[in-house]
Amino acid sequence: MSLKAETRLVVPIEKPRRNLWRRIRQRPEVILSPLVLVVFLVIWEWVSTSGLVSPVILPAPPKVFRGILTLVKASWFPQHLWTTTIETVLGFCIAGASAFTMAVFLHQVPLLRRVIYPYVVTFQVMPMIVLAPIFVVWFGFGITSKVVVSVTTAFFVVLVNSLAGLAAVPENSLLLMRSMVATRRQVLFKLTIPTSLPYVFAGLKTAATLALIGSLVGEFVTAEKGLGRLLTQFSFALKQDLVFATVIWVGVLGLALYGIVSFLEKKLVWWR
Amino acid sequence: MAETRLWPLRRRANPYVPGQGISSVDARVRVDPGKANTGSSAGRIEARDVTMTFETRRGTGLVEALSDLTVSIEPGEFISLVGPSGCGKSTMLKIIAGLLQPTRGEVLIDGVPVRSPRRSVGIMFQTPELFPWRNVLQNVLLPIDIFGHEREYHTERARQLLNMVGLSAFEKAYPRELSGGMQQRTALSRVLVADPAIILMDEPFGALDEFTRERLNLELLRIWEEARKTVVFVTHNIGEAVFLSDRVVVMDTAPGRVDAIVTVPLARPRTVQDMKDPAYTNCIFEIREYLGVER
Repeated sequence: MSLKAETRLVVPIEKPRRNLWRRIRQRPEVILSPLVLVVFLVIWEWVSTSGLVSPVILPAPPKVFRGILTLVKASWFPQHLWTTTIETVLGFCIAGASAFTMAVFLHQVPLLRRVIYPYVVTFQVMPMIVLAPIFVVWFGFGITSKVVVSVTTAFFVVLVNSLAGLAAVPENSLLLMRSMVATRRQVLFKLTIPTSLPYVFAGLKTAATLALIGSLVGEFVTAEKGLGRLLTQFSFALKQDLVFATVIWVGVLGLALYGIVSFLEKKLVWWR
Repeated sequence: MAETRLWPLRRRANPYVPGQGISSVDARVRVDPGKANTGSSAGRIEARDVTMTFETRRGTGLVEALSDLTVSIEPGEFISLVGPSGCGKSTMLKIIAGLLQPTRGEVLIDGVPVRSPRRSVGIMFQTPELFPWRNVLQNVLLPIDIFGHEREYHTERARQLLNMVGLSAFEKAYPRELSGGMQQRTALSRVLVADPAIILMDEPFGALDEFTRERLNLELLRIWEEARKTVVFVTHNIGEAVFLSDRVVVMDTAPGRVDAIVTVPLARPRTVQDMKDPAYTNCIFEIREYLGVER
């Protein structure tokens, strides 16, 4: 009966008229955001054609666009794109899975966590990317060294975020579980891990980008295939239009990875 | 099906015994309904000289949170602990729950010293502590999952409990979609589904607005009349304590000690009308005097 009183308060709102102008006024960013891109492209075009900057250094947008098409048509391009994709995805998955597992383990053994944590922070603060040359020497010119660079670059942000998430369980929730004489395993799977998931995914989203950076830098050092290799190659050949085109492909790859992780987050952490 | 009693405990068909908690056996053991229950838990609480000292945060000294608290609570009694913040009310509740071990003294539940939490004791906090990834019904069934019992049988009871607290229409809703009052109603159902002999409530409605709080107090009273479980209720609202309780334990800070134990002279069952009774007002004033509010 008390419910009725609460539901009765819901008053139907009049449906707003589908007036385009009004909608734009309410959310001007829908127009303004793309406009920024257009303005940016126009300035770019103007700068590169006006003679202020040599077209060799800054190719005009249409030339870059043609470069993208050249890459798409080229028979050798897919293997490079594929190599970087597989390195990044492998690096990301290995880093994510191992970092989360390690976080759960460290969380279960508090003493170990306290002992290890200073090093974890140190490694997270250090740019792991500087290890790339070392790993290339250790693991060869092939795909393995890039995956290793990718893993080390992406690992610590997931670890730190997961640890924070696992520690974010409200005190009273834990007391509630303890009062029900829940086992450690029950507390872990029914409370601690679900609580940590939003934090874990925040880490994973950063890790997706870092994994890509890792494999690209690995390829910069030396590689037979990959977008990083293409970038250095085109750059040495002064094919700036193709450099820019490759950069845009890298951006697409990064966005796609981020999108997939965001999608998984929405599915798995739907209550947020 | 047309089961109106929510506490069909005295019938043999049920796989649990009154107030035993659904099971006191380890969660990993699937309990055979007939054999699970040995002895019965009535819900008598005896605290003897319970003293609790905490180390201060810097470890420089000791703070006494409770000193020599002795109280005996009858099975089925509704008792309140009132007092200012920091008088050790919540600490006492956690000790009864077995979540804290007192520095000295002991608490006995049905004659057995409390050394660890037990399933015949339910606890409810000021925050509902609902899990946002579980819907209302799943949240209510949490103890059943933890105890390792079949959900099928208990789902029906969980629905009856939700019906009793007026949340039938919301069993599929998620906590974030509920108001604070509805969340605490869910938490109350979650305590009740485990059928504890003792319910410990730590300012359960303290974070709610006055109207919701009053309504929930009435509902709590109605449920308690029906179930007659031992309730230990912590609050700093004197009126609430008097209205609900058989006895009120008046506590004071520095160091948490009992000033008095006041018996409320109002008859049961109580209604809102009892708040007009001079005995109600007198009782509140008596407690206020003990707390030194009048000076």
